[in-house]
Amino acid sequence: MVGPIYIIAIALGTAFSLGFFKNANRNISFSLMFLAMAFLTFISGQWLYAFLTQQQETIQIFTAGFKPPFSISLQMGFHEAVFLTMINSLGLLSAIYLFDHLREKGVNMMMVFMLLFMGLNVVVMTRDIFNLFVFLEISSIALVGLIILEKKQDAISSGFKYLIASGVISGILLIGIVATYYYSGSLYINDLISANLSLVKGGSVAVFLIMIAVILELKPFPANGWALDVYQSVNAGIGPIISGGIATASLFILYKLLPIGGDAWLLPIGITGVISFLGSNFLGIKQKSSNRILAYSSISQVGLLMIIMSLSTSLGDKFEFVFFSVLISQYLAKAGLFWIAGIINKDEIDDWNILKKSPGLIVLVGIFMFTLLGLPPFPAFYGKWELIMNLSQSGNFVWVGIILLGSLFEAIYLLRWFGKILIKQDNLEDLKIKFHKLIPVIFVSFAILLFSYLTAKWSGLIGIKYYIPFIIALLIFAFDFLPVFIKNIAAISTVAWYSYVLIYQTYIPENDILRIVFGSIFLIGAIIMLIPGFTFKGKRQGFYPLVILMFSGLAGLIEARTTFQFFFAWEIMTLASYLLIIRGKNAVKPSFNYILFSMAGAFTMFAGFGLAFAETGSISLNALADVLVYANWAYALIAIGFLVKIAAFGVHIWLPSSYAEADDDVTSMISAILIKSGVFGLIILMLSMSLKNAVSPNIPYVLGWIGAIGALIGNMMAIYQEDVKKLIAYSSIGIMGYILFALSMMSHMGWLTAFTYSIVHFLYKGLLFLAIAGVIYRTQTRNIYEMGGLIKRMPLSFISVLIGIITLAGMPPLAGFAGKWMFYNAVIMKGWYLQGAIVFFSGIVAFLYCFKLIHNIFLGPLKDNHRKLKEASIWWLIPQFILIIGIMVISVYPKIVVEPIGQYLSMYFPNDGLVWDGTTASTRLGYWDATKIMTVFAGMFGVLFIILYSMSRKTQLVEQFNIVFQGERPERPETTHYAHNMYAPYNKALGFLTAPFITSAWKFVYESIHSISDQVRKFYTGNGQTYAMHIIIYVVVFYLFINGGF
Amino acid sequence: MENITLQNISLAIGILVILIGLWGLLTQKNLIKIVIGFALFDTGIHIVMVSIGYIKNRTAPIIDSAVDMNNASNLVVDPIPQALVLTAIVIGLGITALMLSYVLKMYQKKKSLDITNYKDLKW
Repeated sequence: MVGPIYIIAIALGTAFSLGFFKNANRNISFSLMFLAMAFLTFISGQWLYAFLTQQQETIQIFTAGFKPPFSISLQMGFHEAVFLTMINSLGLLSAIYLFDHLREKGVNMMMVFMLLFMGLNVVVMTRDIFNLFVFLEISSIALVGLIILEKKQDAISSGFKYLIASGVISGILLIGIVATYYYSGSLYINDLISANLSLVKGGSVAVFLIMIAVILELKPFPANGWALDVYQSVNAGIGPIISGGIATASLFILYKLLPIGGDAWLLPIGITGVISFLGSNFLGIKQKSSNRILAYSSISQVGLLMIIMSLSTSLGDKFEFVFFSVLISQYLAKAGLFWIAGIINKDEIDDWNILKKSPGLIVLVGIFMFTLLGLPPFPAFYGKWELIMNLSQSGNFVWVGIILLGSLFEAIYLLRWFGKILIKQDNLEDLKIKFHKLIPVIFVSFAILLFSYLTAKWSGLIGIKYYIPFIIALLIFAFDFLPVFIKNIAAISTVAWYSYVLIYQTYIPENDILRIVFGSIFLIGAIIMLIPGFTFKGKRQGFYPLVILMFSGLAGLIEARTTFQFFFAWEIMTLASYLLIIRGKNAVKPSFNYILFSMAGAFTMFAGFGLAFAETGSISLNALADVLVYANWAYALIAIGFLVKIAAFGVHIWLPSSYAEADDDVTSMISAILIKSGVFGLIILMLSMSLKNAVSPNIPYVLGWIGAIGALIGNMMAIYQEDVKKLIAYSSIGIMGYILFALSMMSHMGWLTAFTYSIVHFLYKGLLFLAIAGVIYRTQTRNIYEMGGLIKRMPLSFISVLIGIITLAGMPPLAGFAGKWMFYNAVIMKGWYLQGAIVFFSGIVAFLYCFKLIHNIFLGPLKDNHRKLKEASIWWLIPQFILIIGIMVISVYPKIVVEPIGQYLSMYFPNDGLVWDGTTASTRLGYWDATKIMTVFAGMFGVLFIILYSMSRKTQLVEQFNIVFQGERPERPETTHYAHNMYAPYNKALGFLTAPFITSAWKFVYESIHSISDQVRKFYTGNGQTYAMHIIIYVVVFYLFINGGF
Repeated sequence: MENITLQNISLAIGILVILIGLWGLLTQKNLIKIVIGFALFDTGIHIVMVSIGYIKNRTAPIIDSAVDMNNASNLVVDPIPQALVLTAIVIGLGITALMLSYVLKMYQKKKSLDITNYKDLKW
């Protein structure tokens, strides 16, 4: 094997020999440099390989023939090999990326580049603290040397700030080193560790100086203005070198020197990390420059790594895993984003929509951002999970809160940025991409995928089958050039196969009713909702991989046996649905709302799972029932996550516009299927709650009120909508309110209602959205006042909507009434009369918007431009009629669905169930026979139909423009519709209920955060001296903190 | 009076020079003066380093006629800090030179030596 000492020899030799080339032939000098960098990578890589495979022992290399402390020694161990491989391969990729830049600037830049990486290599390997100082200085000088060659005024002045700051820091480090030497008589790091200097009088100051200098090298918030300016101004090819090379090496210094400080330093470093993570992410949300955002994000990630390092003892054997998974994510994703920023060459994130023309790069940006955010399946997800679980277990709940809050801030700025890329704009300039700049970007994206797999495997939290959906999604992505028709068939058959395996082969034999019901809603629903995809022409690039991921996320929820698996699937489903919604025409803003609320909800759920784990020590979902001490907190936190997904009152504001702006078939999927994931989650959670008495009855009580108010507000809002998709969206909020209310009654009948409503809502909401989507597809408008009289043009859609609203309104004889009847029983048995009254009232309100759907769209006069309209496409109608069949079956024989659910629920709520006698169901309050009702209705309907039909010969058909029947004097376009603003009188009476005060409240929170962030960041004045002052103040405050000055 | 030894005097002077340098670095608006401040700061550190290695009544760590090779470790001051200082001086020189070349570049671009004119990037 090639000895590590050759790293220095080769790097140094190359740097010097480059000088001979002058600028004679830059191709040769670049090749030389590139070869040297490749050789460095090879050496470190081969050591890493040896450590991984051959049980290689850590080796020490002694220079000058003496043993330390009389000579400088280098160490090559497993950790060194990992860090060196990371740093050197980054150097290699950076060289490729900077190919034309390096050639343009000539050999000077190449020399400095080599010296920088040599410095970083030695910094990692050396065991001599003064040697460490020297090579740290060499790296800094080399970096500043790279900056001065930029010749941009911004870069030069920020380089000067960097010099001042790093000069002060290295001065502190130098004094610290000499003082340590004074007290210990050695410069050998191993000697310093064993000397236990903190216990020596005066020695603790020496240790303090070294530790604080090392911390400052990590650019902790807020003493880091100098680093931010450099990040922002340098060439995008140098950004990764700072964030992936220098920061990585600095972290290793901290890791190496931490034992000198001893355990007493763990807490201060953790606190530094917490402040850095929260502060940087908080200030990041007001940034507009892409490089500066990346700078804030880099610093926050380093903060997170410091937190992890401070927990090294309590994390135990998981430390390496957690640290590495976060480090590798930050390292790869940050490099990728910096490089793409360089390709785009636009500083403002508003200009990033230039990427629209290269969708491949958008996919890469997405991968990098989601990696940074620690979303599954990317490496940091596993690390963050273990971190939060560990922090919870050791009782550090405040830290958990801060980390999750910081992550939310990070999500705000990264996802807003992602949204900006997708904003549509005409006349975009062409993006010229140089091939050599693309190579490293593609390389790191593949590395991310590889490490996602490796960390997942290493974590041992999930099995191999969790990768199958990703493989299928990648496969479909690879065949994205195929037409929609083929991909749709492939998607449907995949889902069909999976639902066969999951429902028919697994859960039906187990008779797990909960999972059969929701599995069917999720997967059979998916098949039905995919059918309209056949109407789309072209390729629909990117749609099918996301659909597959979303439904596999939903299936994952069903299959989950541990909280980790559940959270994994939950995040996959959320992320995929976000990406599906954002594909809509004007969906950037609504989808941003959706993902922010979802992320916040997911984080509270995460915290809740952490609490549960802290108490039970198990991540099994069943163990949720064993939580006692933290029960109320844990359940409430987890519930919030689900409430966001079902758009419960208070966190509902993301829903209407997201539904409205998503593509039409996506709306059907999310409204009929996806929203049930929240219901499923609540059921899982509340089943745990039902199993014991320790949980406070207040939680279901509060949930009940939230549900009742949500039902009222959702329905009230729905009746005034003129946008038909928004109308149905608000109605979803209302129905979800019913379901939440029903669940929170925590009784047999309540839950039976919730299950029935879930199934029925899936059927009619899918039906309504599909029918309306078919109408929108033909009329090309979502405004109700631009429709009307469509009954003759689209009679089949009319029938669908009619059946849909009869079901929705809960009128007999259709299935909605079954739900309503049970619901009334449940409320009366529970005795929640006030809330119940609100819910009953909102049921009446629902009639109003139901009527509006049928009356305004299908009845009345036809619009002129709709005269030649055709019936909706057959692909929209097929799924509608499948759903109608479903509704009819349940309407006539509710027993086939309701009875098994009742039996299942008896395990949890043995009392007050339904008693079945043939087709008659009865409770202690009364009875109901759906089949008989249906027969009576069918008979009455038949009689009436015959009477009316026989009278129809007397009907006089009037032309539309016969003004005897139509008197209108239109003022504005919408007023030409005879039923525009039809419920205005109600609005006058009850308008206060629909004032958008929840929206205003959230807007206020959002804007306050932004304006505070804007004010706080002003302490970064841009003056190099102020930045140096920050460093001095930081040191003083830190010293006082350590020594109990506070 | 016992404390007023050569070592302590040089230590005190070193710390004083560090503080003067730091003061210059943090308060002067002129770029050249800032660089001078840094140089002083650096020099102060070097004085501190040398004074830490000093041992009373001993001579320079050079083996010649005045120092017997067999008994050298009892006759000379600690050579390590002196060796470190040499390296530190070289590094300090490098940084100072780099700072001056930055000042030159900055002046060429903006024709100003006032650091308050270089705040284009902030927040």
